[in-house]
Amino acid sequence: MSETVVKVTDVWKIFGTRAEEAMAAVKSQGIGKPEVLSEFQCVVGVQNANFEVARGEIFCIMGLSGSGKSTLVRHINRLIEPTAGKIEILGQDVSTISESELRRIRAQQIGMVFQHMALMPHRSVRDNVAYPLEIRKISKSKRWAVSDHALGLVDLTGYEDRLPRELSGGMQQRVGIARALASDPEILLMDEPFSALDPLIRLQLQDQFKALVAQLRKTTLFITHDLDEAIRIGHRIAIMKDGVIVQIGTPEQIVMEPADDYVREFVQGISKLKLVKAHSIMKPLETHSGTLDGAPRADHGADLDQLIDLAVETDQPVVITEGGVDVGIVTKPCLLRGIQGGKDE
Amino acid sequence: MSDVATELKVTAASDIEIDRETLDNSIKEFAGPNGNYYVETFHKIHDNTSFIPKTFNLWAAVLGPLWASSRAIWGMFWAFLILEIIAWVQIGRGLWGTPGSEFLERAASQAETMQRRLDQAAAATEQADIDRFTKLAENMQRAIDTNMERVEQAQAEATGIMITGLIMLLIFKLIQGVYANNVYEKQYSRWRIDPETTESGRSNRNAVLGAVLTVAIAPLVVYRFTVNASMELLEAFPEQQISTYFLGEGNGTLFGAVASWMEARIDAAALAGDDVFDGIVSGVRTVLDGLTVALNGSPWPVVMLVIAVTAWRAAGPRVAIFTVAAMAYTALLGYWALAMETVALVGAAVLLCVAIGIPLGIWFGKSRRAYRMAEPVLDLMQTLPAFVYLIPIIAFFGTGNPPGILATIIFGMPPVIRLTALGMRGVPESIKEAAVAFGASRWQLLKDVEIPLALPSIMTGVNQTILMCLSMVVIISLIGGGGLGQEILEALQFAAKGPGLLGGFAILFLAMVMDRIVQGAFRRKDQQD
Repeated sequence: MSETVVKVTDVWKIFGTRAEEAMAAVKSQGIGKPEVLSEFQCVVGVQNANFEVARGEIFCIMGLSGSGKSTLVRHINRLIEPTAGKIEILGQDVSTISESELRRIRAQQIGMVFQHMALMPHRSVRDNVAYPLEIRKISKSKRWAVSDHALGLVDLTGYEDRLPRELSGGMQQRVGIARALASDPEILLMDEPFSALDPLIRLQLQDQFKALVAQLRKTTLFITHDLDEAIRIGHRIAIMKDGVIVQIGTPEQIVMEPADDYVREFVQGISKLKLVKAHSIMKPLETHSGTLDGAPRADHGADLDQLIDLAVETDQPVVITEGGVDVGIVTKPCLLRGIQGGKDE
Repeated sequence: MSDVATELKVTAASDIEIDRETLDNSIKEFAGPNGNYYVETFHKIHDNTSFIPKTFNLWAAVLGPLWASSRAIWGMFWAFLILEIIAWVQIGRGLWGTPGSEFLERAASQAETMQRRLDQAAAATEQADIDRFTKLAENMQRAIDTNMERVEQAQAEATGIMITGLIMLLIFKLIQGVYANNVYEKQYSRWRIDPETTESGRSNRNAVLGAVLTVAIAPLVVYRFTVNASMELLEAFPEQQISTYFLGEGNGTLFGAVASWMEARIDAAALAGDDVFDGIVSGVRTVLDGLTVALNGSPWPVVMLVIAVTAWRAAGPRVAIFTVAAMAYTALLGYWALAMETVALVGAAVLLCVAIGIPLGIWFGKSRRAYRMAEPVLDLMQTLPAFVYLIPIIAFFGTGNPPGILATIIFGMPPVIRLTALGMRGVPESIKEAAVAFGASRWQLLKDVEIPLALPSIMTGVNQTILMCLSMVVIISLIGGGGLGQEILEALQFAAKGPGLLGGFAILFLAMVMDRIVQGAFRRKDQQD
């Protein structure tokens, strides 16, 4: 996870007819959002976004509706032109390339999945998946072979000749994913792909998607308004509010060290079972007075879920080891506090 | 948790106190002058649960429409202005109208004759003459008496008319008084929703406007309907005098001047654009000739077979049977060649409509500005009666089949343009965005996404266009268009009922066959999707 695939530097997006003037004023005088709206009748969609995504990484952008996350991700394939800033894909600045080069990058290097599937209703599933290849004028026999392979990846073999409307919502979105994968792109842009689905189907697809991306090693930008989903899927999460990226970090960082009250409020309701590890809640060995023979043992990287499984079997505390050496204990009060997101003092 | 619970209090609907203060202030703000009165009446209206109003607005009753106008209730103003004028006309007829005036005139002339007879009797010397004249005078006196009776009767009726008028006026005033506050309360409700465009308060401007309208309308109408000898000026618009005023005596009318100016303009334009118009006509003729050769040049059994098979394939066996029957009708009555000419005419018009209309529709669907500019033109094309644009078409393109096709195109093209534009605008943005995100160019977007998704709408437009073109078949025979329409026109000119009806049925069958085949084809296509 070293090579940078997507690099976004100082990107601004201001909507409105006087966006250029407003941008200049922001840069020279440092005026804020309310002034941009009142003086230039312009809306700030994205405010000074900076991030990098490494190869194979799943980078989640989380925010509520209207926070600018969809706007931000559309800058990557320039469906939206940035007002200021630079976007690089594999070291190439996409904001300066020609129209035809842009189309080539869209067709070959970026696959996109949309919240409302956006499948073409008059084409069969196979032809929908093959469309990115058709745009590149690839022969029909090759197209169909690739399309069938991509449909196989999302477990839709046998549905190739159906029309999209004959499929359920979850299946339709899998067609959308197959379409994004068909041209074997470097980057996947997922714009709230699972938001419109039932909770159960969503969970299924999340797991399926995570496994698929890990196997194919696609660099992914995943947009969601659901922090649970971001934590399940993302290697790193960026939290957006009103066009500003508030915090970027791993799920554990976001949950344990929220940058401000806004993030803290979000994180409150999140289950810590899979996030909090033994080393962050354990107590020194000395705090226990009795014998520890026969007590269950766990690695210091074990999460709360695993610790609970061990703890219910015994009255003794769980002993935490690091490289085979006992380093601390986790008592039941420790566990309970840990579930709440704190530490037993 | 418990604090929250205590803060939330559930109250039964019957226990809820009505907060009058904010409501009162809002009503006062709306009503302006005399706010307290309206606060009180609106409360009465709000508290009233029966449908009989319980308030009476004295000023509305007394002033009538003037009150309505001062409060900007224009619907009420117009309704009661008209009703009150009707009442006033009745009162006027009774008061200063001259009912029975014709009997009175007759009686007066009879009185003169009687006087003459009496004079003659007095002047006469012979007894026989005296008796004769006296007898005549007595007869005359009886006639006068009858007429005077009639006059009295009419005048008695006049009093009745006046009383009816007074009662009507009283009833209208009462209705206004009783319902004024309810109507005004409705206006208040509207004002609460939309204070920007709903007028509120009492304004002098509106009161003056209402008074001016009343003064301008009421006296003239009452005068016109009550006084028997009306002013000549009010009977008809004095265009003759105005023409003389502008153009001078003996220089014709304004109408003549404008008409001859337009005629000169059109002639000049026709002459100037001669080559262009000839080019258009020859282009249309090429299309028409092609179709005519195909339909009338080919042997008739071949054409019949092709049409029958097309009907079968496109719309199924039932339509095919109907088509064969319709073709037998036209052929047996000797209409075959004419029918095929009509099909060629309509076909040429539809082809041109589609060839021009679909690209225009695509453009209008993509550019809102272009559509806004074109919309009045499209409306004009559809609403302008065909007879109106037949004249300039003759001026520019002459007579015959090609100008007839042009007239048909003017009438038939708007639906395909409109429905294509509608279909283009209905393509979901998300699907277009997806295609662009996968690298589609503008042309690929149009060809792969926009046109296929707009196709059902475009096809509806084409079907509409076909039907509208068919409806022009008879009209274009007025400018020399051939085919079945010409048969009908000739039958019409000689009032030939038999030929007219037979030709009419031939057109009807043609239209039905075309409609069924096209609709059947579209329906089958829909089912495939």
